[in-house]
Amino acid sequence: MRLENGIAIKASQLSQSFRRADGQLVDALSSVNFEVLKGQFVCLIGPSGCGKTTLLQIIAGLLLPSSGILEVGNQVVTRPSPERGMVFQKDSVFPWMRVINNVEYGLACRGVGSGERRAIAEHYLERVGLAHVARAWPRELSGGMLKRVAVATVFANGASVLLLDEPFGALDYVTKRHLHNVLLTLWAETGRNKPRTVLFVTHDVDEALILADRILVFHTGRIVDDLALVAPRPRTTDTLLMPQMVQNKHLLLAHLGLETKQAGTGATSSIVRAAND
Amino acid sequence: MTEVRAFFRRHGVSIIVLGVMAAIWQILSLLYTTEAVPGEPMIPGWQVVFTRTLISLSDYWQGGLGVPSVAEGAPPSYTAALLAIVSNSLDTMVRLYLGLLIGGLVGTFLGLAVSWSKWSRRTVELPLQFIRTLPLLAMVPLFQLWFGIYFAGKVAFVAYGVGVIFFAGVVNAVKNVPQVYIDNARTQGANRVQLYLTIILPSIFPELRATILLSLGTAWGAVLGAEYLGAQSGLGYIIVYSEAFAYLDRMFVVALLFVFYASISYAIFNRLSLKLLQWMPRVGRVIVVG
Ligand SMILES: Nc1ncnc2c1ncn2[C@@H]1O[C@H](COP(=O)(O)OP(=O)(O)O)[C@@H](O)[C@H]1O
Ligand SMILES: [Mg+2]
Repeated sequence: MRLENGIAIKASQLSQSFRRADGQLVDALSSVNFEVLKGQFVCLIGPSGCGKTTLLQIIAGLLLPSSGILEVGNQVVTRPSPERGMVFQKDSVFPWMRVINNVEYGLACRGVGSGERRAIAEHYLERVGLAHVARAWPRELSGGMLKRVAVATVFANGASVLLLDEPFGALDYVTKRHLHNVLLTLWAETGRNKPRTVLFVTHDVDEALILADRILVFHTGRIVDDLALVAPRPRTTDTLLMPQMVQNKHLLLAHLGLETKQAGTGATSSIVRAAND
Repeated sequence: MTEVRAFFRRHGVSIIVLGVMAAIWQILSLLYTTEAVPGEPMIPGWQVVFTRTLISLSDYWQGGLGVPSVAEGAPPSYTAALLAIVSNSLDTMVRLYLGLLIGGLVGTFLGLAVSWSKWSRRTVELPLQFIRTLPLLAMVPLFQLWFGIYFAGKVAFVAYGVGVIFFAGVVNAVKNVPQVYIDNARTQGANRVQLYLTIILPSIFPELRATILLSLGTAWGAVLGAEYLGAQSGLGYIIVYSEAFAYLDRMFVVALLFVFYASISYAIFNRLSLKLLQWMPRVGRVIVVG
């Protein structure tokens, strides 16, 4: 078991509203409260537009909440910090830097010596299986490879809180499964002294079930459910067939509006509206 | 041998087109033999340009290097003519490139200041948008009164013309920097200076290329404009002097020199910027439809 002493992230009455160009006020987050323990792997799931990216931006310190307080490690977040690394939903690898320079960018910004940061960057590139393209330009890489660069970068920076915004959303199944393993290995190996807390946004139910210790379900700017997954790791296809997992999957699908709850039995019926419409 | 063949395969058509243009000029000079003043054809043929005209440029050699000037009583010579071309071109180019450098740096700096903070934007933006609207050539006399008719005045004028273009170009380009790059750098611990040096400058450069090319053109215009009005040397000075005596052929030679120098500076800039932009997905792309 991971050491789970203390709280990594705490959101209190967090709200965020935006004024759209047409003057209408949009509530991206409405009075969100939650706590995440150190070292926990938390998945945020919810339909698009429900405020997931907004929440990550607030935690990253890129956006100040309209109201409420967000604390990371008992400090109120007011600005970005390399302690909180982010993998963005959009492609964020700098195209004008070679792959290796991208991975060591944050270390260079913080004045880490060139030999040391090069070694760290090469280590993590190796871990994500991209050692052979260290000197390449990002334009020469596929979408999946760029995501791996972003993952290597965020680990090279040594952040204790990792914010991943639908990082593998656009990838093919094989690449995605491979990257899940890479991510979980890197997350697990940091040991007891510096556990890494992960917030992973996704809209893929299976992805959440494979990765998470805990799943927060979002809907229109609110947390509507909070599931703990106690299934052992490493999780396989068989793990997903465990009764507890199947039940959770039905619950999540129901939250996403893909199934309806059947009264009485507690089970759910597969309507899978989206597939039939 | 194969290299020569490859060269002609790539550039053969362009060379032929240039040759045809030169031939048309020659034919025109034979068809229209009108003279501006006696002995000065309106359209000087190449046989005139490369002999009489060229040698007459010795007039603009001011002496030295063991080659006496015409003013000192020496007869016109090709040596003096060549020295005249080189020294006057150098004078113009030093004014041009120094102005370009200063104007480029100051314009870029002020353009970046607009996005630095609220206060720097308020300080810089409105005055510069106002200054931008002043027509460049109308400012020549003013700059001469302020900075003198010598070196500083011309450099300052070029710098002004170029700086205004850079300012506008940079302000626009910065607006187009994708927010995700800035956010990414900030979450990795970049401070503001680092943001400008490692994110904003490289990502605005592709867009700034057009600005730089535009400013090269403006810089040539500005330096000549400054030289028309009171210079003792330089290509603009030769043009003004030639105009006074209706030396159309000399003006034509200077015009050819402009084309030559401008082509070289464009080519060098293109080479350099393509090298700097090798990270771009479709750099150096040539579009051919059909
Ligand atoms: N900068 C912004 N200006 C206006 N509205 C915004 C802005 N950012 C997000 N929103 C709105 O806030 C809501 C939540 O957005 P977001 O957090 O990106 O959703 P998600 O990541 O869950 O898809 C959406 O309705 C979106 O239109
Ligand atoms: Mg999003």
